[in-house]
Amino acid sequence: MNILEVTGLTKKFGGLYANTNINMNIEKNSITAVIGPNGAGKTTFFNMITAVYKPTSGDILLNGKSLVGLKPHQVTKFGIARTFQNIRLFHDLTVLDNVLVGMHHHLKSSWVGALFQMPRTRHAEENAKKEAYRLLEYVGLAELLNESAGNLSYGAQRRLEIARAIAAKPKVLLLDEPAAGMNPKETKKLTDLIHDMRTKLDITIVLIEHDMKLVMEISDFIYVLDHGEEIASGKPDDIRNNPRVIEAYLGKGAVANG
Amino acid sequence: MRKLVDLFSKNKKAQLLLFIVYVAVSSLSLILAQQSVVAFLLLLFSILLLYFLKLSTKAKWIIGLVIVAVLIPFSASQGQAYESYMDVATLVGIYCAMALGLNIVVGFAGLLDLGFIAFFAVGAYTYGIFASAQASKFLHFGHFPLSGESFWIFILIGGIVAAIFGILLGIPVLRVKGDYLAIVTLGFGEIIRIIFNNLDKPVNITNGSMGIASIAPPKIFGIVIANASQFYYVALAIFLVVVYIVTRLEHSKIGRAWKAIRDNEIAGQAMGIPLVKTKLIAFAIGASFSGMMGVVFAAKQTYIDATSFTLLESTTILVMVLLGGMGSVPGVILGAAVVTILNLQVLTEVSNWLNQLNTNGVISIPDALSPAKMQRFIFGLLLILFALYRPKGLIPAKNQKYDVNKLKKSTTKSVFVEPQVSNDKKASGGSEI
Amino acid sequence: MLAHIIQTLPQVIVDGLTLGVVYAVVAIGYTMVYGILELINFAHGEIFMSGAFIGTTVLLILSSVGFLSSVPAILAFIIIIVIASIATGFLGMGIERVAYRPLRNAPKLITLITAIGVSFLLQDIVRFIAELKTGNYIVSAPSLFNEKIHLKTSSILPQFGDALFKSSFLVVLIVAIIMLIVLDFFVNRTKWGMAMRAVAQDRETASLMSINVNKVISVTFFVGSALGGATGVLFMVQYGSIDPYIGFILGIKAFTAAVLGGIGNIRGAMVGGLLIGLLEMFAAANLSTITHGAFGAEYKDIFAFAILIAVLIFKPEGLFGKAVVEKV
Repeated sequence: MNILEVTGLTKKFGGLYANTNINMNIEKNSITAVIGPNGAGKTTFFNMITAVYKPTSGDILLNGKSLVGLKPHQVTKFGIARTFQNIRLFHDLTVLDNVLVGMHHHLKSSWVGALFQMPRTRHAEENAKKEAYRLLEYVGLAELLNESAGNLSYGAQRRLEIARAIAAKPKVLLLDEPAAGMNPKETKKLTDLIHDMRTKLDITIVLIEHDMKLVMEISDFIYVLDHGEEIASGKPDDIRNNPRVIEAYLGKGAVANG
Repeated sequence: MRKLVDLFSKNKKAQLLLFIVYVAVSSLSLILAQQSVVAFLLLLFSILLLYFLKLSTKAKWIIGLVIVAVLIPFSASQGQAYESYMDVATLVGIYCAMALGLNIVVGFAGLLDLGFIAFFAVGAYTYGIFASAQASKFLHFGHFPLSGESFWIFILIGGIVAAIFGILLGIPVLRVKGDYLAIVTLGFGEIIRIIFNNLDKPVNITNGSMGIASIAPPKIFGIVIANASQFYYVALAIFLVVVYIVTRLEHSKIGRAWKAIRDNEIAGQAMGIPLVKTKLIAFAIGASFSGMMGVVFAAKQTYIDATSFTLLESTTILVMVLLGGMGSVPGVILGAAVVTILNLQVLTEVSNWLNQLNTNGVISIPDALSPAKMQRFIFGLLLILFALYRPKGLIPAKNQKYDVNKLKKSTTKSVFVEPQVSNDKKASGGSEI
Repeated sequence: MLAHIIQTLPQVIVDGLTLGVVYAVVAIGYTMVYGILELINFAHGEIFMSGAFIGTTVLLILSSVGFLSSVPAILAFIIIIVIASIATGFLGMGIERVAYRPLRNAPKLITLITAIGVSFLLQDIVRFIAELKTGNYIVSAPSLFNEKIHLKTSSILPQFGDALFKSSFLVVLIVAIIMLIVLDFFVNRTKWGMAMRAVAQDRETASLMSINVNKVISVTFFVGSALGGATGVLFMVQYGSIDPYIGFILGIKAFTAAVLGGIGNIRGAMVGGLLIGLLEMFAAANLSTITHGAFGAEYKDIFAFAILIAVLIFKPEGLFGKAVVEKV
């Protein structure tokens, strides 16, 4: 069953096509990678799904319902959460507060309730904090809960972004270059985490990644973009040997020579 | 010497003892030397010292309340300057509450509101019109002025009216771009002033540049609150309520959302925060605080006109927030106290002193440079210097720390993730998270 | 009512154009800085004001040494406007260097606050210099161009009334138009102008293309401020009396003009300025007639503000702007 379907998605900036006629069917509970050289339009694609950009044409369906025309926060409510290529944490907030913000749309805690300390609100807040703490344990950041997010190391910031995103209880999680800047050890931990989220949290994962080892190891299915167009799709083995993909990455001569 | 400092920074009892001595000496000197502004300021300063003591929050609140509610009024009451001291203290309370309101907009939500005083004016006129004979000039029903007992309800009404103005102004602006808010509020502040100054025709609503006089002072249980020494307790009560509201909001879901969009708008939206609505709530709540204080101001002064609501006033409040520390509740209170006292006491005192020197022929300072006239210069300079060198203010904002043990002790079942796959997976998955 | 409106129309157009070109040139200062730094330079209104005061100072010095009576007024005027614009150009550059540049990577809120601080500081510094020297912060300048011109617009259409103006009107109009044309040439045709547009579009890429970004920003501030200062001189020449607070409301209106034309768009700012000047004068002349005396000319300042709100509601990108896409 497809949880996310993208049909004919196109984005034009001025006269420039950033994405042209992208079609994707993403199966529920799968891990899908979107790869391609720099400037291929991968992040633009994510931005359209999360309603940061409005598509020029085409449709995005989550469980059969169109997301086009929604506001970014509504998309989150529908069940899509994301991380960012250039980490976007709330730097001045603590690690735990960052995760709590992720719970915004499902946390039943109105400001009126907070003002009068209504039992319902207090209860919801207390539980949310415990849940947030467990999420931090899950991604391995529990000890740093009171630290300012801006003070974390690069790898920890990336994991915090993931914890914050899954706090939103997404059905689909979009990871934008989660392994960028990580050392092999951290990447290994990340790989395990992604696997775990799929199996234990039942989240469908779509990731943009340049680390081919990670992509080949983890993905069920891969889409390749180049110059905003989809040039190939298939299982990791198919993609590995696809001449068009190799050409896109290494240039024209590479295919002839090797 | 160093050892001594060390001793005091660790030893609770020694700290407390020293503090009590300080409070006793300063209040005694105020009692004995009633004319001494310095003694009065030193006594106020004890609140700041108290903040830095190593005591539990509860103990600090109790001690603080005793000093503010009993010791200061008592020590000041022994001489003729009593009312003027209490007047300053009352205004400190009012401005603290105002600055805390602006802190929600600027400090928490990161929106620059340069027309904050306009909402203050809205509140002041709301009460002023109905608590004086003014309302009967355009309303042909009801009996005006309303009695001073209506003051307590008008605090709420003033807040609501100001919030409505805030929402009407915020909707078009916040939908577009955050930084336009600064210039739009700047314009709004000016416009409100012009309107209030001219709205004596076609219908006489504000009495134009003549202002509204003989506004009813507040009344409770038949007692009219007319003196500064009585009003002081009204201001104090309101101040305490405001502090309560602000701290509650800060540590609630909406408070986190404000800070989140301040830190990163795009990520905030991606986490499910509705941007416009969240900003609008901050803006409206800030405006309502300002409106409420406007009601208090009108009741205290019993006379209002448009000249009290200029850009200088809005900027003064911004200086309070920046000076104290944006987003920091104790900081903003300190900032408001310092700026208010600087404005009301220090600048006038220094000006008077310089004038005296002038007339005695000791030195000659031209009138143009009289400190009381240099508010713009001083506040402008403070804004620049603090923005450049100490953007976090005198007492920087601190994050609330969570108690790990409390979070670990989970009595409830995890309600967080509910895998929809199958029941056995749910059991194994749920327990780990 | 209509007859009154038509009758006053020529005068409204003359006055509106004068005010409009002033707004237009000041608006350019806002739009250039916003285009390049995304910063509302609140101090720009005060730079305009400083220009007016510097111009007046030079004028007073020239007249006290008797220079004024020995040369044609237009020559004196050129000297004054050149000195004032160079001085305010450097003032603007200095403000950027001291107050804005250290904060370029700080949250925008902080920079906006500094801008407000600079604006206050300038107001007060000018106030006490003026008060020290003249004893009053409101200063009136001797007028340079005094001939009254009577424009017989009634001969074109009998319903029109005649328009009356001082010759300074022509000076203001011509000088402002020259400035607008030169600036347009500068931005679109010269190397510096190109660099400026490049930095406005993408600061990082521009710096990779070996454009000295700091220098370009300095030049932008110099040009914008020099224009603002020169307009201050025009204002002084036209209206005769100045005070340290003229820059504040005028600044808001000029910013409105910039938003109306599409912020970041220089030609848009010109058109926006003219439109707001004309509308304001139209309101001042006719508001009382239209509302049957209920609201008088004292509400004219509200017009610019109402326009600002209306633009934000209906066409936030302005008349000539493009909707911007935020980079993620």
